[in-house]
Amino acid sequence: MFSAFKSIPTDMDYKGQKLAEQIFQGVILVSAVIGFIYGLFVQQFGWTVYIMLAGFTVSCFLTLPPWPMYRRNPLKWQPAVPEASGENRDKPQESQKKKKHK
Amino acid sequence: MNTVLSRANSLFAFSLSVMAALTFGCFITTAFKDRSVPVDIHVSKVMIKNVDDFTGPRERSDLGFVTFDISANLQPIFDWNVKELFLYLTAEYSTKSNALNQVVLWDRIILRGDNTKLNLKDVKSKYFFFDDGNGLRANKNITLTLSWNVVPNAGILPLVMGSGHKSLAFPESYETAKSY
Repeated sequence: MFSAFKSIPTDMDYKGQKLAEQIFQGVILVSAVIGFIYGLFVQQFGWTVYIMLAGFTVSCFLTLPPWPMYRRNPLKWQPAVPEASGENRDKPQESQKKKKHK
Repeated sequence: MNTVLSRANSLFAFSLSVMAALTFGCFITTAFKDRSVPVDIHVSKVMIKNVDDFTGPRERSDLGFVTFDISANLQPIFDWNVKELFLYLTAEYSTKSNALNQVVLWDRIILRGDNTKLNLKDVKSKYFFFDDGNGLRANKNITLTLSWNVVPNAGILPLVMGSGHKSLAFPESYETAKSY
């Protein structure tokens, strides 16, 4: 059963990661400012915490799952080297390169 | 930020930092507020006895009995940074052996949301009004003041004295034991 979960891709590309970080920072800061002002108005700090938690939940929903908008700039990998005699030397270099990019 | 877990980690850490900044903001908006309100104290009955005090070094000490009324409006003190108030009534006086004596006679906790208008009548003291010796008899000037300790959500806990006090004098002679 877990193989079905593992097959769901959860990665984003770099521009998507930057967008996700900006989105969650913006949402949380905006909800913090709104919560602070509303809590100061009704003089109850509990409301500030609740509004912050709502902002946290909204940003979780927006940034944790890998929506398609975070995948619009995928990395351009080089085409695979065709099979030749120097393949045994190329293979460990390629796998090293892929590990660095991850 | 490639995996869900690392995104969740940075999201949660950022939320906690913002929450800490909001709590500091809550503290700053109320840190320099004056938390004193006027307090009205009346005394209805004063009596004194001379009894054995087993906790003290000498044979007999003075024990005072005071019955009082308190009225105060504590609503202006409560704001978004106050969790509860700890009120206490202090009796302050000086005797021949000690220059300053302070005894707490009564205390009460008022939580946020409780009734903040205090209007208590004929309250007996909660704690014994023992003197360190025999200095209460014929003592002309005993000052009763109501103070409180403000317990905040974030910040320091100030001890504030209410404005308004009551002076009373103890009688010259001890009360003899009554028969019921």
